[in-house]
Amino acid sequence: MFSYIVRRLAFGLLTIIGVSIVVFVVMRILPGDPLVAIFGPDGYTKLPEQERASLMAQLGLSDPLWLQYWRWVKDIARGDFGRSFFRSESVAEMILRRGPLTAQIAFLSVLFSWLVGIPVAIVSALRPNSWADNVVRFFSILFLAIPGFWFGMLMVLGLLFTFGYRAPLTGASLLTDPWTTLQIIIGPAIVLGLGQAAYIARLARSSLLEIIREDYVRTARAKGLDGRRVIALHALPNALLPVITLSGLLLGFVLAGSIPVERAFGTPGLGLAMFTAVSERDVFVMQNLVFLYAVVFVVLNILVDIIIAWLDPRIRYQ
Amino acid sequence: MTATKPEIATVPRQTALPDEPSRWSRIRHWLYRFMRQSPMSAFWGVIAIAIVSVAVLAPVIAPYDPMRSNFRTMTKPPNEKNVFGTDQIGRDTLSRVIWGSRASLTVAFAAVLLGTTTGALWGLACGFFGGRFDIGSQRLIEFMQSFPDLVLAMAIAMALGAGTGTVIIAIAITRIPFGGRVIRSVVLSLKEMPFVEAARGLGASNMRLMFRHIRPQCIAPFLILATTHLGVAIIIEASLGFLGVGIPPPQPTWGNMLSDALNSGLVPPWWLVLFPGAAITVTVLAFNLLGDGIRDQLDPRLRRAI
Repeated sequence: MFSYIVRRLAFGLLTIIGVSIVVFVVMRILPGDPLVAIFGPDGYTKLPEQERASLMAQLGLSDPLWLQYWRWVKDIARGDFGRSFFRSESVAEMILRRGPLTAQIAFLSVLFSWLVGIPVAIVSALRPNSWADNVVRFFSILFLAIPGFWFGMLMVLGLLFTFGYRAPLTGASLLTDPWTTLQIIIGPAIVLGLGQAAYIARLARSSLLEIIREDYVRTARAKGLDGRRVIALHALPNALLPVITLSGLLLGFVLAGSIPVERAFGTPGLGLAMFTAVSERDVFVMQNLVFLYAVVFVVLNILVDIIIAWLDPRIRYQ
Repeated sequence: MTATKPEIATVPRQTALPDEPSRWSRIRHWLYRFMRQSPMSAFWGVIAIAIVSVAVLAPVIAPYDPMRSNFRTMTKPPNEKNVFGTDQIGRDTLSRVIWGSRASLTVAFAAVLLGTTTGALWGLACGFFGGRFDIGSQRLIEFMQSFPDLVLAMAIAMALGAGTGTVIIAIAITRIPFGGRVIRSVVLSLKEMPFVEAARGLGASNMRLMFRHIRPQCIAPFLILATTHLGVAIIIEASLGFLGVGIPPPQPTWGNMLSDALNSGLVPPWWLVLFPGAAITVTVLAFNLLGDGIRDQLDPRLRRAI
C-alpha cells in the first residue's frame, strides 16, 4: 500500500509539472499578445512603441520564454500568485478569501448527489424496467442535458417570483455566520449536485445490476439472509467502488461547472473570480487560476486512486 | 433505455441473396431496424433532424432579423407579434433562438469532427506504432485530461481571442483525448489479428495496413464517439458564450443570449432566460438519445467504454 501511494504521488508530481507547461504554453505562447488582452486591440495599436517595450520589460515579457516559465514556477512554489492588473488584492489573498466558498459548494454538491443518486439507483436496479426505473432513467437523461447555469438562473427567478426570496450576495465565513453561508451555497450545490446525481444514478444502477447477478450474492440469499441485508451489506459496497471513482472525477468537473453556475447565482466564490478574470482579460490571474484548477483536479484524482486502492486490494497488487 | 437483442450488431445479417443489395436498400434496412429496436432514439433522432433543419433554414424561418433592434418593442413579454417576447433593445427572441441554433450547431459539429478526427488519427498512430511515440503521446494526453474540459476550453478561447473559429478550436482540443484513447485501444487489439498479420506477410506497407486494413474497423467507434460528444460540445459552447469567451455578440448564440439576459439588470426577464436555455436542453437531449441509439445499434459492447 505504501509503495502504491509513493508511486502514485511521484506520478502526480510529474503530471503537475506537465500541466504547468501546458498552462504556460496556452496562456503565453499561443498567438495573442498579453498586452492586446489588457488594452484591447484598439488600445494596443494606439500604444506608443516605447511604452510598449517598457511595459513588456516591466511585466517580464521580453525575457526568454524559459526564464519566464522558471520565474513563474518559482513564484508559485513560494506561494506568490501574482497580482491582478485591475485590483489591489493579490491573487493569493483572493484565493484564500473566495476558495472556501467554492470548496463548500463542491463538497455539499457531492453529498447531495450521493443522497439523491444512490437510493434512486437502488430502487431502479432492484426493479429494472418498472415504472420507477423508467422515471429515474428519464430524469437522469434529462439532467445530463440541462446546463447547470441555466437551471440556476431559473431557480433564482422562480424563488424570486414565488416567494420574493433572493439569496444574500455577500459572503460570510461558515464559522461566523453559518446561516448566511448556507443560503449562498445551497442553490449552486443543488444545481451542481443534481447534475452529478444523474451520472451517479446511471453508473450505480448498471454496476448494481451486474453485482446482483454474482454468485456470492446468490449464496448470501440462499443461506437465508433477508433481501435488504443482502443488498445493503453484500452487494452495495462492491457496487459503489466505481461510483467512488466517478464521484472523485465529477468533483473536479464540479469545480469547473461552478464557474458558470456561480455567475448565474452571483455567488462570490472562486468561479466568479475566474469569470471576472476572463471578462477583464486578466491574463496572469487567469494563468494562475487555471493552474490552480488543474492542480486541484490532479490532486483529487490521486486521492480517489488511493482511496480506491485502500478499499479494493485487487488494485493495490496490480 | 431500449432493450437490445443479444446479437452483435456489427455482423451484417446474412441475406442469402446471391447479388449484393444496393447501398440505398441497405441504409433503408438499417433505418428500419433502428426504428424497431430503439423507437425512443428514433423519435429523438427525428427531433435532432428537425433542429438541424431549423438551423439550416434559419433565414427562411425566422420572422424577424435577429440583429435589428426595434425601440418600440423593448423588453416585451411573449405576445402575438413576438411569440417569445423581445429583449432590452427590442430584438425578437424567437428569431434569435432560431439563429442561435446555427451558431451552436456549427460550433458543435465542427469541433467534434475536428477534435475526434485528430484524436482518432493520433490514437491510430499510437496504437499501431507503439513504443516510445506511444508512451510520450499517452503522457501528453494525460496532461490534457488533467484539466476540466471547460477550464481548458476557456483558457484556449481566451488566449486566442473571441470568434467562431477560436471557439471551435478550443472545444476541439478538449475532445482530442477521448478520440485518442478509444481508438488506440481498438487498434491495439486489431493489430494482433490474423488478417493484419496476413496483410503484413503479403508485404503491405505500414500506411496500407493502417488505412486500408485497420481503419475500416475503427469507423463504428468513431461514429459513436462523435455522436455522444455532440451534446457535451453544445453545452461547452453555451457555457463559453455565457462566460463571455464564446462567439461575441451581436451574433446570437444561446449562451450569449443568456449572458445578455443576466447583464440586463438584477432581475432578468423570464422569457429571455427560459427560451434559449430550453433550446439548449432539447438539443442536447436529442443528440444524446440519438447517440445512445446509434451506439446500441453499431456496437453494444462499447456501452461501458464510452
